[in-house]
Amino acid sequence: MKKVKINHIIYLIIIVLIANSCIEPFDIKTTTTTTFESALVIEATITDEFKYQEINLSKTFQLEDNGPLAESGANVKIVDDGQNTYDFREISPGKYVSYSEFKALPNKNYQLQIITSDGKYYSTTPTPLTNSTQIDNIYASKEIDDLGFEKISILVDSFDPTGNSKYYRYEYEETYKIIAPKWSAYDLVVTSNVPPFSIEKVFKTREERVCYKTEYSNSIIQNETIGFSEDRVFRFPVRVLLKDNAIISHRYSILVKQYVQSLDAFTFYKTLNKLSGSESLFSQNQPGFFNGNVFSVNDPNEKVIGFFEVSSVSSKRMFFNFLDLFPGEPLPPYFTECEPFAPSNTFYANDPSDLFNLINSGSVKYYGENDKVDFTNPGPFLVVSPECGDCTKLGTNIKPDFWVE
Amino acid sequence: MKNSLLILLFFCVQFIYAQDENKQNISINFENSSTVNVIKKVEELTDYRFYFVDDWLGNELITGQYKDVTIQTLLDGIFKKTIINYYISPDNKIILTRSVLIYSSLPDGFFNESEKKISQNEDAVPEKFTEETSSVKFNIETVRIGKESSKSKLKKYTLTGIAKNSSNNNPIPNLAIIVQNKNINAVTDNNGYYSIELPVGNNIIETKSIGIQDTKKKVIIYANGTLNFYLQESAEQLQEVVIEANKDRNVKEAVTGITQIKIETIKNIPLVLGERDILKVATTLPGITTAGEGSAGFNVRGGKEDQNLILLDNGVLYNPSHFFGIFSALNPFTIKDVNIYKGTIPAEYGGRLSSVFDINTKNSNYEKLSGEASFGPVTSNIALEIPIIKDKSGLLVGGRGTYSDWILKSLDEKSLKNSTASFYDGVVKYSHKINDNNNLEATGYYSNDAFSISSDSLYIYNNRLMSLKWNHKFNNKNYGDLILVNSKYKFNIEFDGNSNNDFDLGYNVNETELKLKMRYLLNENHSFNYGISSKSYVVYPGNKEPKGSESIIETLKIPKEKALESAVFISDDFKVNKNLLLNLGFRYSFYASLGEASQKKYADGLPRNEGTVTDTLNFGKNEIIKTYGGPEIRASARYFLLSDFSVKASYNSTYQYIHTLSNNTTASSTDTWKLSDLNIKPQQANQYTLGFYKNIDGNTYELSLEGYYKKSKNILDYKVGADLLLNKSIEAEVLQGDGKAYGIEFLIKKTVGKFNGWIGYSYSRSFIKFDSEFSEERVNNGEFFPSNFDKPHDFSLVANYKITKRFSFSGNLAYQTGRPVTYPVGNYIFNGASYVLYSDRNKFRIPDYYRLDLGFNIEGNHKIKKFVHSFWNISIYNALGRNNPYSVFFVTENGKIKAYQSSIFSIPIPTITYNFKF
Repeated sequence: MKKVKINHIIYLIIIVLIANSCIEPFDIKTTTTTTFESALVIEATITDEFKYQEINLSKTFQLEDNGPLAESGANVKIVDDGQNTYDFREISPGKYVSYSEFKALPNKNYQLQIITSDGKYYSTTPTPLTNSTQIDNIYASKEIDDLGFEKISILVDSFDPTGNSKYYRYEYEETYKIIAPKWSAYDLVVTSNVPPFSIEKVFKTREERVCYKTEYSNSIIQNETIGFSEDRVFRFPVRVLLKDNAIISHRYSILVKQYVQSLDAFTFYKTLNKLSGSESLFSQNQPGFFNGNVFSVNDPNEKVIGFFEVSSVSSKRMFFNFLDLFPGEPLPPYFTECEPFAPSNTFYANDPSDLFNLINSGSVKYYGENDKVDFTNPGPFLVVSPECGDCTKLGTNIKPDFWVE
Repeated sequence: MKNSLLILLFFCVQFIYAQDENKQNISINFENSSTVNVIKKVEELTDYRFYFVDDWLGNELITGQYKDVTIQTLLDGIFKKTIINYYISPDNKIILTRSVLIYSSLPDGFFNESEKKISQNEDAVPEKFTEETSSVKFNIETVRIGKESSKSKLKKYTLTGIAKNSSNNNPIPNLAIIVQNKNINAVTDNNGYYSIELPVGNNIIETKSIGIQDTKKKVIIYANGTLNFYLQESAEQLQEVVIEANKDRNVKEAVTGITQIKIETIKNIPLVLGERDILKVATTLPGITTAGEGSAGFNVRGGKEDQNLILLDNGVLYNPSHFFGIFSALNPFTIKDVNIYKGTIPAEYGGRLSSVFDINTKNSNYEKLSGEASFGPVTSNIALEIPIIKDKSGLLVGGRGTYSDWILKSLDEKSLKNSTASFYDGVVKYSHKINDNNNLEATGYYSNDAFSISSDSLYIYNNRLMSLKWNHKFNNKNYGDLILVNSKYKFNIEFDGNSNNDFDLGYNVNETELKLKMRYLLNENHSFNYGISSKSYVVYPGNKEPKGSESIIETLKIPKEKALESAVFISDDFKVNKNLLLNLGFRYSFYASLGEASQKKYADGLPRNEGTVTDTLNFGKNEIIKTYGGPEIRASARYFLLSDFSVKASYNSTYQYIHTLSNNTTASSTDTWKLSDLNIKPQQANQYTLGFYKNIDGNTYELSLEGYYKKSKNILDYKVGADLLLNKSIEAEVLQGDGKAYGIEFLIKKTVGKFNGWIGYSYSRSFIKFDSEFSEERVNNGEFFPSNFDKPHDFSLVANYKITKRFSFSGNLAYQTGRPVTYPVGNYIFNGASYVLYSDRNKFRIPDYYRLDLGFNIEGNHKIKKFVHSFWNISIYNALGRNNPYSVFFVTENGKIKAYQSSIFSIPIPTITYNFKF
């Protein structure tokens, strides 16, 4: 069931009640020592892919702070019920990677053991690998929603004839091609930043027209087939993109990973997602702390956050071009406004010109010659904001290995 | 005449030596003669001369035969059946008096002289009763009951009788009978009967009731007797009178924790959005709270929202609110009153732990068509009273609706055009007086809400209720009510989001109850209520049906649940003595969960989840799955410390077999009700109450101070983020724990005068505990923690000031401690996104709640002949513009935590409502 939208309720209350109800943000602070609670956060999903498995350890941080506090210097290992031990080493603060490549095998139970630098011992319940189910198909579909907006949904089909998988979690990596709309083969560079100031038009020496950008999903996407006649995932939307989203302007690729989860893991992620989701004005979920399968051996009442998951995974990649889906239609608007302008390039005595200052601070890129010098565009060159002329401001000019045109 | 009698009494002093002179014997025969003629005959035959007023003797014809008897024997014979007393003077004068006995001696100390004189009866030294000479300035009827007898030593006599409406001969219930200046009073019962003990001699009796003209009678009582009142209806209703009818109910009743609200008394209270809401008024009384504006349901004495039995004409009203609790689902014009039991629950009610809200609709006017209507900014109400057979039967029809949907539809805003928010309710009641001994009442009620707040889902819920009551009087001592009720609560969610999981979801609960309730008035000291009831429940927890051809949702039907809840009950109002009144109630309830059903069995000693199911048991149709039951004691006692000061104590135990399932902190319309079964046990509670009650200044002020302690068992709560809709194994998602609540409630009420209202304050706490050896079934490490509605301080002030008959001001002031919330105590990154770590459950509180409402009322003029009486109400809700947070919550948006607080009414809301009545 879709969550009630807060906006709608706000409108409704305003209009229906001829009153105003409001939902307003307020600052939350946990700086006072009485409210902040520190707890260990364990992110550990090992899979049936043969690779260097990865585990992340961090600590909770105060609400007004930005980043996580890495839990460094811990001793991390995984043991299975065949008495095999897989040791991990810390490659960057809080990030632990197995010394050797391995994959989780069916019919084995795995247990994570952590001893933190302050000597506390944490462990997990023995966890088996989940059932394996392959993604059959992923594809893009054009849709129009109730409000008349055109959208593209990335849909997944999958089927487990044994009916044992049932609980699925998805992650995706999306990569898209960026083409700078006001690209020029030339660049303006500063040749002297001491008086007398000077700039010069030169050939670009690197690729700045076509770039690629990869982004990772950061929300919890889950699906279950309980209640369906068969264990079949059909047209499940993993990612929904509005038609005017700039990232689908040219060519778009998405890698969808499907994790089969255990009931416990599914419940943990679902609860986590529920408690972070939008709420309706009139009813709220009961928030609270909930346990995963990780615990402190020393103090059973200590709050430990996280889940140790041993999951089978299947992934599939797809590509599409905007013009394949919307032939002949205008491209979505670019990420930023790209109107060229021509700032003055007149040097007064020893003062730098406007154009010089903009180039020197990296605020504009060369686009072309100014044919119509006038009061608003007095300079000789047309310039644009850097993202419009240089795609590396948004992505990388190195084509990913998997990219196919 | 009174003056002359008084003189006569003084005069009598001179005739002290009386008796032995009268030796003249008489023989006389008379047949069907008037008393006057007999006296004349005696005067002819003897030297005796009689002094009397002709009127006193009446026109009754008497017959007698006396031979050679003394004058005393003769006169005793003649006046035996009358209230006439006589005095024989030494000079053969016979003075007749009405009731008053002329003593040949004076009371002790009448004069300073201490000489004792001989009297007719040497033991009885008479007290002085004189007919009062000046206190009554207008003519009132004098009623004489019995005659004074010098032999009687009783100082009090009982007066009984019935009060009837002189125009239609209906009994008048709840008529207050008040003895002036003596602090003695009584109230007529539902059938108009009353009984009152009067001190011997003169009493000025007043009667008062709503809609009935006040009367005064002088009662001179010398024996037990009967006095019936035939009273006229009054032309205008004075709301002060309503309260007077139950003037001393505060101190007199044995039951603890009872509140009555009559719709008339709340006419002037400031309104929210123009609605006169009897249930909202209830929340201004100590012990009754809501979680906040915009939450349906009440918390009574630290109990959960599902622990209140809300009855409308005996039928259960599952959801008494519209639009998330902002409006109550009752048309105020059709409601007579609500009785709220939060301490002792009468034995006839059961099935909920915390309280009973017994809401009664009005009976229609049997004489002429009348009606009431109001127009407010959001809703309109109308009620009509239609006589069907004059003086015998009538129909009450009420309806209410909102225009909000129309407002929404006329908007241009795209996202709102598809929104819906509408509600309406209607009530029809037919009442028929078959004869003096039989009455029939039938009520039908329906309410409906539909709202859609996101474009893809539509929520609909409705209540349907039918009630039939036959009241029969077997004789003056035995009465019976046979009640049949059915009620159904239903909600539906239609989800249409253009994917393969569109569905329709339906939920409903349906119950039917048959109840026989008998009343037996054994004698003055015992009156019994007893009966039997049986209720059948059918719950359809829901079905999920695919919507559209693309939907791959399998039709999912959670099998229906069935159960039978029965009870026998008996209670005795036992008047032990003048000061001690006991109300002893006993109820035995029995519950059976019935098939057909399949129930899961879980492994002992393991947490319940899909993995610990050991067996699935199947039960056939109507096969008993599991039974529960037990005795429930409802006992209370009142003791008068002074005539207007009493102490009461009670013990109350209750069972509850049906529970709401909601993982929201506040009640909402989509909460489902679940029956107890193999895995879910009934809830149980025990409550102890002690209170002191005092009326001051002739019942002008009512004070009460009541303390309670309540323990409960098997209270349901949910695991964090549980899925409760359409879950086949709900027992694995809920927890059952212990509850504990205590508090002290103070209420002072001024019921009469230009300035009236009440102040309520309560200090109360409510805790729950979920302990288990498994961490997933434990909350806050298994310790007691404050419940969601634990609000220690709760203060309300409701005041009305009448400037003139037409203009009045009113105000409400409310203050409450903010309710507990679970607060974020840290952030963490998981899976690339930021999440919140929450504190222990309910460790923090939202800011305190306070609100001031103001109202100004303008009545139309009071000409009785006027066809329509109108009434304007101008209110400002939340006049201080306090932004009371209703909740705080935290959302992860784009991987960042944002905190929000929501409030429902954050600015002053003025409304104007027009009411009229004909």
